[in-house]
Amino acid sequence: MREFVEECRREWRLLGVPDPIANEMAADLTADLEEAEAEGGSPEDVLGNSAFDPRRFAAAWATARGVTGPPAPDRRSFWRPPVAVVLTVVLGAFAVLAGLALLVGSGSSSIAVATRRIVVGPGPIRLFGPGPGRIVLPGPLGRPLMGIVGVRGHPFALLLLLVGVVGLLCLGLAALYWSPWFGPRRLRRHQGPRTPGWN
Amino acid sequence: MANTEGRRSQLLRGVLDLCLLAVMEDGPAYGYEMTKRLRGRGLSIVGEGSIYPLLGRLERDGLVETRRAVSNGGPPRKYYSLSSAGEHALKAGVREWQATRDAVDGALGLVKAEVGP
Repeated sequence: MREFVEECRREWRLLGVPDPIANEMAADLTADLEEAEAEGGSPEDVLGNSAFDPRRFAAAWATARGVTGPPAPDRRSFWRPPVAVVLTVVLGAFAVLAGLALLVGSGSSSIAVATRRIVVGPGPIRLFGPGPGRIVLPGPLGRPLMGIVGVRGHPFALLLLLVGVVGLLCLGLAALYWSPWFGPRRLRRHQGPRTPGWN
Repeated sequence: MANTEGRRSQLLRGVLDLCLLAVMEDGPAYGYEMTKRLRGRGLSIVGEGSIYPLLGRLERDGLVETRRAVSNGGPPRKYYSLSSAGEHALKAGVREWQATRDAVDGALGLVKAEVGP
């Protein structure tokens, strides 16, 4: 019995029921359950089949009384939009940079040359091309990376490629996270209890 | 076709609020007391769900009035009683129920009910 009431309290807290009202409902419920018990009855005598689902019962009661508060600020909905934009832009940029850098740094293929000319124009290449301006990963990291990937590319390009791939994986996971099949339980709950109006 | 319990549940769902209002005619009552009054009139809600959400809706709709009072030596309870709007709703609901019941009886009354209980 006590567990049932406590479970109801937890549900009311989640639903934003003001404490005084939750206390009142809990007191009434406790008194009725105790009376039934004293008469040799069971919780089912008081609650019917709701005795087996305290959360559903509590939600139905609070909803019927109209005492549920506004939905508690959903942490995810709060940070989703800005993070979504930042993630998309940053990781997308990494992916594009990785692809370009790999092409530009992959030697003398026609695609690499063409890309180089499109990106940096004619003349000396300062960033990705060979020469003094070239960015090179430290030896212990650069060579193994090239060996693992098996591509004859610029070490920096390989690093960007890895970051880009990881970024795309993160985007995929983010899309799954935001999908309706992965919605938080709270949102589904606020759509209303799946219960008869008087249950 | 719905099973017997399912049909009973659906039928009750439409009139249980009237039944609660009706037992309040006997005087103010708290939740479990109303359950007992219903049982005393032959209507058991075991298996049908609790009455608390329904009482909450009646209160929200202004059909019942509430006050807290100490029950027989027990803790303070919330007593429900009919408001004037509730009295009107009860009378209108009973008329509607009787008309519906008569119509259904008219439709079903000619059926030879030889099916066992």
